[in-house]
Amino acid sequence: MKRGLLFFLLIAGRLGIAIIFLYAGIAKVREPWLQFAVSIETFKIVPESWLEPLARYLPWCEIALGIALISGVLARWFSLIATGMLTWFLFIGIRAAAKGLTVDCGCFGSGGGGIDAKWFVEHAAMLALGLSVTAGEFVRGRSPKFVPEHTLRDF
Amino acid sequence: METMRYLLLFVPALLLTAQTPAAPKKTTDHSALTAASIPAKNFKESGSPTAQVGIEIYTDYECPACRALYLDVLPSLVSDFVATGKVHLLHRDYPLMMHQFSKLATRYANAAGTIGKYDVVANQIFVSQPEWSQNGNVDAAVAKVLSPADMEKVRALVRTDSHLDDSVAKDVAMGNQDHLSQTPTIVIVAKGKRDVIGGGMPYSILKQYLNSKLAQ
Repeated sequence: MKRGLLFFLLIAGRLGIAIIFLYAGIAKVREPWLQFAVSIETFKIVPESWLEPLARYLPWCEIALGIALISGVLARWFSLIATGMLTWFLFIGIRAAAKGLTVDCGCFGSGGGGIDAKWFVEHAAMLALGLSVTAGEFVRGRSPKFVPEHTLRDF
Repeated sequence: METMRYLLLFVPALLLTAQTPAAPKKTTDHSALTAASIPAKNFKESGSPTAQVGIEIYTDYECPACRALYLDVLPSLVSDFVATGKVHLLHRDYPLMMHQFSKLATRYANAAGTIGKYDVVANQIFVSQPEWSQNGNVDAAVAKVLSPADMEKVRALVRTDSHLDDSVAKDVAMGNQDHLSQTPTIVIVAKGKRDVIGGGMPYSILKQYLNSKLAQ
């Protein structure tokens, strides 16, 4: 595959993750923070004292991460953070399912439903995308010939 | 171009310092709903009608999560916020189709409310939910907390009062306006906004939220 095509796939993947995080964050900040706190609580994974700060600020962190990914600044590190977060979300979903917890995902605001096969497929796909983009960004960072310098600057 | 990319990084910082905006999807203009939200004093409401914050709780008597909310959260909520005049509380019925005996339980609770025994009977219906939800014998559960005379009045109302479900129909209509997707659902009414929160929750987090609303 040509390097140019790989580069544009990488950019498309990074923008895809950015849009996911932006959408998830915006959907949550449009609702009262108590709603997201209720969703987090159903996972039974953090102490009650963490619910308010997490519910208040995690959506803003998702938005910030989305914007950072779009900007392309420190792309490999922000991709890594995004992939870490996606890994964590998938892990707590697996944990909740294993414990038989009835959870309200709250991933994209309220009304998203619980955790089912569709949820696992979606989150596994997002994680796969995150891993691919992160790997691609690190490879790109190590290989100056991966993409011509002017192309990187002009993006 | 490079400068633009770095400038973009300042956007999240600006967003993080901003106040969380109001929730247009989950809140509605209170002016249109005021009459329905704060009806004339009835047996389903408690606290001061002029309280700064209103709470409307939609429950289904056969829903286990509603039972948990009613038994674990409501007593503290009432003692800390309703009895102190900070919050006006309104119970709303939202019997779900999937629950076989929920409508019957609601009729018993509202019949008891008609004779001034709403709180004790609603509490008993939730407490005994694991039993009557198996066999539908709400009558036996309610009979344990009422005198024989009161129980006869309640039974007569449950059998014959055709208007007993009127308030339930209004509550369901209001719930549909609030876009309920589950029970329990709590609607927090403050400063003209209705924050619709679906699902059960620990009291501690509800308390933090109410305190933040009262502090505004």
